[in-house]
Amino acid sequence: MKPPRFAHWLLTRLHPEETLEEVEGDLDELYTYWYERAGRTQATLRYLLNVVSVLPPFVRRRKRQEDYYQTPSILQPTMIRNYLKIALRNLKRQKVSTSINVVGLAIGLATCILIMLYVQDELSYDRYNDKADRIVRVGLKLQMNGKDVGGYSLGQNAARDLKQEFPEVLKVTRIKGQGGEFVSYGTTSFRQDNLLLADSTFFEVFTIPFLKGNPKRALTEPNTVVLTEETARKYFGNQDPIGKVLSFGNDKRPYRITGVVRNVPTNSHFKFDMLATLVGQDQTIDWPGWLYSIDYQTYLLLPEHYDYRQLAAKIPQLAEKQMGSEIQQFLKLTPKQFREKGDDFGVFLQPLTDIHLYSRAESSQSGNIMYVYVLTAIAAFMLLIACVNFMNLATATAVRRSREVGVRKVLGSVKGQLQQQFLIESVLLAMVALIVGLLVVSLALPFFNQLTGKTLSMNLLIKPLMATGLVAGTVLVGLLAGSYPAFYLSSFKPVFVLKGRVTAGRGSFNLRSGLVVFQFFITISLIIATVTADRQLRYMQAQKVGFDREQVLVIHDTHMLRNNETVFRDKIIRSPQVVTGSISGQVPVGRTNMDNTTVRTKEDPDQGVMTRFYFVDPEYIPTLGMRMVQGRNFSKSFPTDASAVILNETAVRALGWQKNPIGRELIGHTDDNGVNIMYRVVGVVSDFHFESLRQKIGPLAMFLGRNSGNILVKTRTDKLPEFLASLKQQWESFAPTAPFSYSFLDDRFEQVYVSEQKIEQILTLFSSLTIFIACLGLFGLATYTAEQRTKEIGVRKVLGASVGSVVALLSKDFLKLVLIALVLASPIAWWGMNQWLKEFAYKVTIDWWIFALAGLLAIGIALLTVSFQSIKAALVNPVKSLRSE
Amino acid sequence: MRRTYLGEFEEVVLLMVAILDGEGYGVTVSQALEEHTGRIVTFGTVHNTLIRLEEKGFVTSELGGGTAERGGRRKRLFRVTALGSRALQEIQQLRQELWQLIPPKTLQLSGS
Repeated sequence: MKPPRFAHWLLTRLHPEETLEEVEGDLDELYTYWYERAGRTQATLRYLLNVVSVLPPFVRRRKRQEDYYQTPSILQPTMIRNYLKIALRNLKRQKVSTSINVVGLAIGLATCILIMLYVQDELSYDRYNDKADRIVRVGLKLQMNGKDVGGYSLGQNAARDLKQEFPEVLKVTRIKGQGGEFVSYGTTSFRQDNLLLADSTFFEVFTIPFLKGNPKRALTEPNTVVLTEETARKYFGNQDPIGKVLSFGNDKRPYRITGVVRNVPTNSHFKFDMLATLVGQDQTIDWPGWLYSIDYQTYLLLPEHYDYRQLAAKIPQLAEKQMGSEIQQFLKLTPKQFREKGDDFGVFLQPLTDIHLYSRAESSQSGNIMYVYVLTAIAAFMLLIACVNFMNLATATAVRRSREVGVRKVLGSVKGQLQQQFLIESVLLAMVALIVGLLVVSLALPFFNQLTGKTLSMNLLIKPLMATGLVAGTVLVGLLAGSYPAFYLSSFKPVFVLKGRVTAGRGSFNLRSGLVVFQFFITISLIIATVTADRQLRYMQAQKVGFDREQVLVIHDTHMLRNNETVFRDKIIRSPQVVTGSISGQVPVGRTNMDNTTVRTKEDPDQGVMTRFYFVDPEYIPTLGMRMVQGRNFSKSFPTDASAVILNETAVRALGWQKNPIGRELIGHTDDNGVNIMYRVVGVVSDFHFESLRQKIGPLAMFLGRNSGNILVKTRTDKLPEFLASLKQQWESFAPTAPFSYSFLDDRFEQVYVSEQKIEQILTLFSSLTIFIACLGLFGLATYTAEQRTKEIGVRKVLGASVGSVVALLSKDFLKLVLIALVLASPIAWWGMNQWLKEFAYKVTIDWWIFALAGLLAIGIALLTVSFQSIKAALVNPVKSLRSE
Repeated sequence: MRRTYLGEFEEVVLLMVAILDGEGYGVTVSQALEEHTGRIVTFGTVHNTLIRLEEKGFVTSELGGGTAERGGRRKRLFRVTALGSRALQEIQQLRQELWQLIPPKTLQLSGS
């Protein structure tokens, strides 16, 4: 009398487990009942039907016992209050791990916030313009003699031609830099370094609000100027500047003030204190075009919702026509011939919002998208490390709290409640860390601003969006960091816990080791990066630049003395403290006049070489301590030196005159009548760096000529202040409009590398922070391990282990992890630094010892951290650790 | 007081559990249903109803009493809880009150 096998099998397979036993029994019994009453066939049929009625989806599932008696809602306020209370008690009781956690997380968060502020600022450049997304700048692509001489400005007529040709160019405006100029009003005179010239359309393209004056008419007339608020205050105090007339330069050109605008935002790629009009400034002589006097930054305003790439596709045709004809005129080459030499020309468009981050470094002000990425990555890593620490420590301390979990479970806590409790604890900790982190940020911000040269403020964080984001982010961090311990702890089985059998399992050890490896991976990579950056910087500064930059004083703006410039020079070199002095517009480092020309050899006039050229006096080379390789310096005793030239070694090579260049002739330029002006080579000067060390040394030609601008003075004095004071006095005796100002050549030299220096400092800062946080984590972990193995250590000591062997035992595991991290980090760091070094023409190699150093450093730090705890553990009297068994 | 809703079939099954007085389980409840009301329902219906009654708190259950004919498997025996018996009594009382309200003639007329 057995029910059909298949139906029974189906029942056992598909019926919910919870009620299977009773249902099986019931159906068996019923089968017997039906069999007896109605016979086998009936019984089988009814059995089948009834089996189906208890299969899913018809059957109702019996709930599990725990769910059965309705627990009070998990989000009851009483419970939450209880969680908070317990959390606070726990945090108070475990002071060490709490403070490690809070400090670690706070530093991580503070770094993140700082970097976020920085990155946010970098990304906000030029976005203050209402039409920011519709403005593009036209740049110049130009390659001559294999050297890229393109840039971000064009000749004077490009803007006009573009506006005429393309209806989609709604507005054009040009900006021209104007170096420093002395501007005076009455007796007040200042050197204005941020003086720009602009078209009258400037204010229709860019959004710089007016305080006084009419933006539509401000720059429409010749010799008008607009001041910023700050400049207006500087010259006029509280007076109304409108209509007043400023005089510019030595020749006292009058400029009428037609407006006062707000200061240019700091996150703008152009900065000006005064904006003078370009009206009436355009040259009508020479070759007004696209390639001649490339001084005009040209901006186009495009229609709304217009992709600038459409325009970029159309411009080349016009550029080809205009620039092609100019090349024909200047170089006597058709565009085709020009290109056949491997050179190229053209234009490109650059959206306004890309200018700051994507332009080649023009000054230390300009940003670099790479640094934005690197910093963001560092921020993410820091936060990740802090989270990892948090998880690590929480998991490690889990054992200490396992009894609590056990008791709670026995008293009826369900898993969800325990998880909630742990999550609330970690979120609470994260919030505390956030508050500490914000404090750290407010303290560190002034230093960070100094480091980055920005003016960031916490105000940005008060914006509702940012504030919510910050808090939400912190809660998320708390949840993430707390999730692993929460799930791990709440899964303890009370029976084992209360028997005292829980030790951290093998599996969790692996996870924790993984986390340690990860931390040290990042730490080591950062150490390698920092060391390499530092070496590169030192290398650049120690580079033989080919001239002597010690003890060289540069007196600025000596052209303001006009004819007295030479008199002044002659006067100061008579002083016993001065070796020699030279008047020159060209100082080899820092911002200075850089002019290019094309020289050709007499033998092969078709072969032009693009070179820099300097006009110097005979004192120039000795003043700067440059070395003559062949021939001689210019001299007053050779009247023919007016048509002589001195080349640098690179120029000699470029002209193909390796063998005996002295006495050869080159064509310097062609005068208006088409006559080639010849220069005879009298000397070869050893190569020196006249640009940043980022670039290779290019060809250079020096001609004898008057070239005012600065006076370079080689001094030999210990009493610098007195010397400077006497110079100032002499300067003022000429009553120039300009104040006495000077700089030292070696200071200027360092200025050039400010951006590298900044990056190196930032890297050092962040890598030490990372190391610090990683150490905190390691310290916590070591504490835990030592605690775990108290008994083991006691037994070992009883059996005769020495302190040293115990310490070694405890440290060994960590060292292994650090070594793994080193192996992983080395290739990645090597690759990354190689990418960075590619920017430099003269660079250090990444030697193996850097990796060894980084490894040793990491191991040393890890050992130091771990040994503190392990020595403590090893010194404990075994009686103490073993008595409680 | 809000009364938990008790369906017609649920009420009948609950009554059966009450009648069986501690001996009610899947088989006996189905048989009693058939015997007293003539309704033949699938076993699944009874099973589900009993689970639902337990969820509503009208019955409790425990496992016990395996016999040879069920292959030694235990039964789930149901018993009416205080809440269940109150619910039944309330229904009974409500019915009674309603019966009182019917005018005597109405049922006679329609009945004859």
